[in-house]
Amino acid sequence: MILFLAGCERGPQPDPGAAFHFVDVAAEAGLDRVVLAGRPGKDHLLDSAGTGAAWLDYDQDGWIDAYIVNGWKLDGDRVVERGRNALYRNRGDGTFEDVTDRAGVGGEGHWGGGVAVADYDADGFPDILVTNFGPNVLYRNRGDGTFENTAAEAGIESPGWNTGAAFLDADGDGDLDLYIATYIDQSTDEVLAAERTLDWKGVDKVAVGPFGLPGAVDKFFVNEGGGRYREATSEAGLDDLGEGFGFAVRAADLDRDGDQDIYVANDSDANYFYRNEGGGVFREVGLWSGTALDANGAAQAGMGVAIGDADNDGALDIVVTNFSEDFSTMYRGDGDGFFDDVSATSGVGKVTYPSLSWGALLADLDNDGDQDLVVANGHIYPQVDAHPEFELSYAQRNQLLENDGTGQFTDVTDLAGPGMAQVRSSRGLAAGDYDNDGDLDLLVTHLDEPPSLLRNDSPGGAWLEVVFDVPPEDGPIVGTEVTLRVGERTLIRDRSSGGSFLSVHDPRLHFGLGSADRIDLLEVRWPDGSRTELTDLPVNQSITVSK
Amino acid sequence: MHKLEWICRLAIVLLVCTAGVAVPAASDTATPPQLVETYDSLADTILAAKKTEWNLVHTILATTYGHAEGMAKAALAKLDRGADAGSEIEALAALVAQIGNEGDAGVAAIRKRLIEGGHHHHASGEQQGIYDPGFVIVTRDAKKQFLDSSKSIARMAKSPDSAALKSAWDKVAQEFKTLHEGAH
Repeated sequence: MILFLAGCERGPQPDPGAAFHFVDVAAEAGLDRVVLAGRPGKDHLLDSAGTGAAWLDYDQDGWIDAYIVNGWKLDGDRVVERGRNALYRNRGDGTFEDVTDRAGVGGEGHWGGGVAVADYDADGFPDILVTNFGPNVLYRNRGDGTFENTAAEAGIESPGWNTGAAFLDADGDGDLDLYIATYIDQSTDEVLAAERTLDWKGVDKVAVGPFGLPGAVDKFFVNEGGGRYREATSEAGLDDLGEGFGFAVRAADLDRDGDQDIYVANDSDANYFYRNEGGGVFREVGLWSGTALDANGAAQAGMGVAIGDADNDGALDIVVTNFSEDFSTMYRGDGDGFFDDVSATSGVGKVTYPSLSWGALLADLDNDGDQDLVVANGHIYPQVDAHPEFELSYAQRNQLLENDGTGQFTDVTDLAGPGMAQVRSSRGLAAGDYDNDGDLDLLVTHLDEPPSLLRNDSPGGAWLEVVFDVPPEDGPIVGTEVTLRVGERTLIRDRSSGGSFLSVHDPRLHFGLGSADRIDLLEVRWPDGSRTELTDLPVNQSITVSK
Repeated sequence: MHKLEWICRLAIVLLVCTAGVAVPAASDTATPPQLVETYDSLADTILAAKKTEWNLVHTILATTYGHAEGMAKAALAKLDRGADAGSEIEALAALVAQIGNEGDAGVAAIRKRLIEGGHHHHASGEQQGIYDPGFVIVTRDAKKQFLDSSKSIARMAKSPDSAALKSAWDKVAQEFKTLHEGAH
């Protein structure tokens, strides 16, 4: 085990009394590439679907780097520009260097959607999966700062409208399998020829869909070793019978039985909860686990997913972001695989109702010992701006909801600094401590704009970040869970794959610890079920735990 | 092209052919009676299709209920023997959820296709909030009751109790009876 203290220098401090303070430093940090998003009028849903963002430490230097997926720019039925994904190397001084060309991770000219990161070939370096409208790209990290696209060789190109993805060891064999959600069965020609013909509230024409367009089916790929995958969707019990309009995917142990389950947010359809029955076989239990629909039994328009322990009861809870004029849904878990929709009573429902929400995050942003909620917002129809009578807007503010420690949330966006006051059409959202100061910063993608990097200057409490040092031959890190006991409190985090909206959070696990000065117990549950325990640890450190 | 569309087009073509090329009298502005007659027949077909849909969904529900009833008996019998009935109880929960959902995800996909094509079995009922879009028999209230019941039953899988399961199943049976009576 190796311990080291991280630097704790902070930027400008917020007003006294404010719990949160975020400042957008993307421009000065060098994150300047515009995310292209179809046509200005958003004539097709692909124009307004947006892209994801990822934090990863591709060069293993201890500073997380940023990866931003890009789309295309269209003019009518003409392709004006094929956007290039961007890899920004963290220099460790608050700025980033665009190393896309050197690394060879520009996206291969495809219209990008989501991103997932994992060491799929178990060589010790994180690889990048980019899900595309078109064939997927799998950038294998060579370990020398460069990547190669191995998607075809790996057998996961799977052309289509691919969206969310999650790596997980589904069958417990020590390698990473892969679930990829898909949205709508559409061709490039159909996207280019799209016209706005859907009547919106009787006052305007907007992009058609998703109803009226055929759903595409999600796919599951089992890792065969040697860098190759085989599609095993039916074999694994993961048939997308409902042809749901899939967006976000998150793997997590939702029923606390030690293996990874899969949760899929479907737009306009019931969400899926695929419970892992062991041996790589799943059973869809969404309807009777309480995770498919809202409390009234209605399907919502799922976009993004956040999973965490919102009420500090040791059980994972789920937040699903949804369409405008419908609330984001908080499903409170009982730790046994059952959930109740508590959107109305948790404070989440009412304040998220007007917004069209995408990226979702449960994380302790003020280091006070509970997980706050962030949702990234933005409408898909620019046309709404022409109709102020509906009190909607295309560009919207993202929202920060503060947790009072019991799972009750209050919208504190107004008090969270200029970074949270931005009004844009946001999509992807990824949390990561890019400046290694012990708090989580936010990377947010927007349509037709460069991303935001919201530096967290909140006056928070104590913290801990957990890094894993596991030789590749000892199995994957994805699926590892850490439990902290701090006085009377028990805090859990899992090393996830998937989640938010097509995005990837910091690979390190972050805990806010409030006024605590010691950690009584740190327990790691590795994916193979083995455990590591550390006791009586100091706070305010990044700790590396070996298996 | 759908069969119904073919029939309709064929009928129109035949009518046009049989009508000949005679120029109608200036005072004759009525829709040709043959077309009215064909439309009348087509209306019968359309309305009959809706009834057929109702019958089919009713059969799906009845079949699912029958399956659930058998599963409830199997689970209770196992519990009475002191055997593990977890699998049967979860299967029962899944079936009860399917009653609430008017079928499984495969049926839901068909329902979605019908809605996409503009077919709503209870358009006014949907607007009034009585039915979810595309649902034929199960009302929104009934759906919620069945889904709540399915979750209650599923929770029993890990720590089953015969009396509690019987009570939960009796509740489902009553809900289904109410649904069945209300559907006619």
